[in-house]
Amino acid sequence: MKHLLATTSALAVLLGLAAAPAFAEEQTAWRLFVSDHAAPVVHALDMETGKAIETFNVKVPTSLYRSDSGRTVFAVQGKGDTISVLSSGISFGDHGDHGDIKVEAPKLLDVTFEGKKPSHFVDHGGDIALFFDGEGVARIVSETNVLEGKPAVREVATSAPHHGVAVAIGDYALTTEPNFEKPDELPVGIRVTDRSGATVGDVHACPDLHGEAASGNLLAIACAKGLLVVKESGGAPSMEMLPYGERLPAGKSTTLVGGRGLQYFLGNYGPSAVVLIDPKSEDAFRLIELPTRRVHFTVDPVRAKFAYVFTEDGQLHRIDVVAGKIDASLKLTEPYSMDGHWSDPRPRIAVAGSRIVVSDPLKSVLHVVDAESFKRGDDIALEGKPFNLVAVGGSGETH
Amino acid sequence: MLRTIGFASLMSVITLTSLNATSATAEPLKVVASFSIIGDFAQNVGGDRIELTTLVGPDGDAHVYEPSPADAVKMSKADVVLVNGLQFEGFLQRLVEASATKASVVELTKGVEPIKMKEEHEHAAEAGGDHHHHGDLDPHAFQSIANARIYVKNVADAFCAADTAGCDAYKTNADAYTAKLDAAEAEVKAAVASIPEAKRTVITSHDAFGYFENAYGLTFLAPEGISTEAEASAADVAALISQVRGDKASAIFVENITNPRLVEQISAETGVKVGGTLYSDALSKADGPAATYIDMMKTNIATIKGAILGS
Repeated sequence: MKHLLATTSALAVLLGLAAAPAFAEEQTAWRLFVSDHAAPVVHALDMETGKAIETFNVKVPTSLYRSDSGRTVFAVQGKGDTISVLSSGISFGDHGDHGDIKVEAPKLLDVTFEGKKPSHFVDHGGDIALFFDGEGVARIVSETNVLEGKPAVREVATSAPHHGVAVAIGDYALTTEPNFEKPDELPVGIRVTDRSGATVGDVHACPDLHGEAASGNLLAIACAKGLLVVKESGGAPSMEMLPYGERLPAGKSTTLVGGRGLQYFLGNYGPSAVVLIDPKSEDAFRLIELPTRRVHFTVDPVRAKFAYVFTEDGQLHRIDVVAGKIDASLKLTEPYSMDGHWSDPRPRIAVAGSRIVVSDPLKSVLHVVDAESFKRGDDIALEGKPFNLVAVGGSGETH
Repeated sequence: MLRTIGFASLMSVITLTSLNATSATAEPLKVVASFSIIGDFAQNVGGDRIELTTLVGPDGDAHVYEPSPADAVKMSKADVVLVNGLQFEGFLQRLVEASATKASVVELTKGVEPIKMKEEHEHAAEAGGDHHHHGDLDPHAFQSIANARIYVKNVADAFCAADTAGCDAYKTNADAYTAKLDAAEAEVKAAVASIPEAKRTVITSHDAFGYFENAYGLTFLAPEGISTEAEASAADVAALISQVRGDKASAIFVENITNPRLVEQISAETGVKVGGTLYSDALSKADGPAATYIDMMKTNIATIKGAILGS
């Protein structure tokens, strides 16, 4: 239930709140955190003005992840064997009949998590699981403790180093089960452990496991032949395999994002398509072909009906997840070929309230698109190669 | 809880479009009901003139339901959407927006005299222990059969507005069903009258029975408030345990839509056996004892009476 609150509260804050006391003023604040592809920095920008607030130094070029609450941004530095944490400076208080927004300066917290090859970050209801591939260990921390500068770390070790992921669900932890014969290959299943570290039930088979996301009270984990759908039902999490439909061509998802406001998942499927996954529907998989190869995709947390995909021809596509099709496309950048290394600098997408932001690392610019009209706005110039983006913010009352 | 609040403010901007009255057509009226109890009302009034889709099915919890894109498709094709209102369906506004439905969205609690949430939860909210807002209205109006009659009239009015040719049939069906409701209500009242007044306090999981309490004279205590979304505080649970130990509550019940953990905890700590399952916000599956609204009301009072008199 905590998870539901976490995933829905931001949406409600964005959408507007019930009548507040007359003396309260409404404030909207959105911040964008931008990493650089080549430099060890994280820029914080005020999206209401488009101006830079501050640039933070980290150890090596980083990936960025935001928590569900938006209060923290984690800089996962796989090649630096460390994870840094920023306070976004934006927080919300639930006062029942209205929500308060508190806006402070963003800052780099005096908290780091050290370990070999940190990879996946998963927040579930404020419990954040950080997986370190080089050790095969998950370190689980509470966001509240991190913000207080006193993170009590709970470690969950798997049997071998591997490219894995962990999710903390109440008293339980889900961790990937490595491929013992070929530890360099993807994991083969999910193990559930309780707080004592004891395994609960059998390991759930999930060959070629890569990609997980949450949507409402469901968690999906991508496997070779389908999705492992995880439900919380009071006790230990229950899991069910949802096989890819027969109508889908051969393929699999390896990256998932979860819908906000509507319960669905959006996954990659082959190089030039995405798949909409509605686990509760008889027709659970809807493939959407793209005009060219896919670069990045995300969902709109405010306008539940929409998700966005960027393709290598430089276009941003808006997906209508109800109709299951592309309903608008917008040319934003020069072509970015998917040939070359998977981690070459290419655009990334984030949604910051009423704006969709797309990074253009080779042009040192952020493109801004009005989310309502789907028309281009003013670009924001940013030195270097702006790459990963996360947006944090919303509206609330100030007193 | 914030989600419910967001919904509250946005309900004011829902355009309750009035569908143009249609003439007789071979096509059935496409009706979406938000949850199982409303679905049962709709089927009783609409009969074979409607094609009914119910979003939150048997044993489902509408407070925390997560709508899917498929639900949005169903809503986009509907002629009439029937909802409870009073912020019962936290998911509704998102779904209305995503579906871009042109259907009439009809709140069936229109005309009901709403009651406020229970005081103990309001005080807890003031102390920061709960997330309900002041003056929160209890949405579970269907737990009074008198209110169910209002729901049924509203269903008939909505169907008549959307399908004038079928109006007579809808009204006839509504009258026949209302007569059955009257008979069911008499049974409930008689059952309550057979319970000694000193024994008429019971415990359930969440505050779903305020209208039942007002209408029929039982007192319901619950660790959770009117939405299952907010968690009970330790103080709430301790207070209920104290009530049971002081012999002020005669029986405790789990609900079909909620996690029984809290109620089982109270049962374990007091030694009072759980008296059965009450159907609060949803009907049972077709093979269960509360597959229709009338069966639900009869089953609930029979369960309560059995537990109290058998204790």
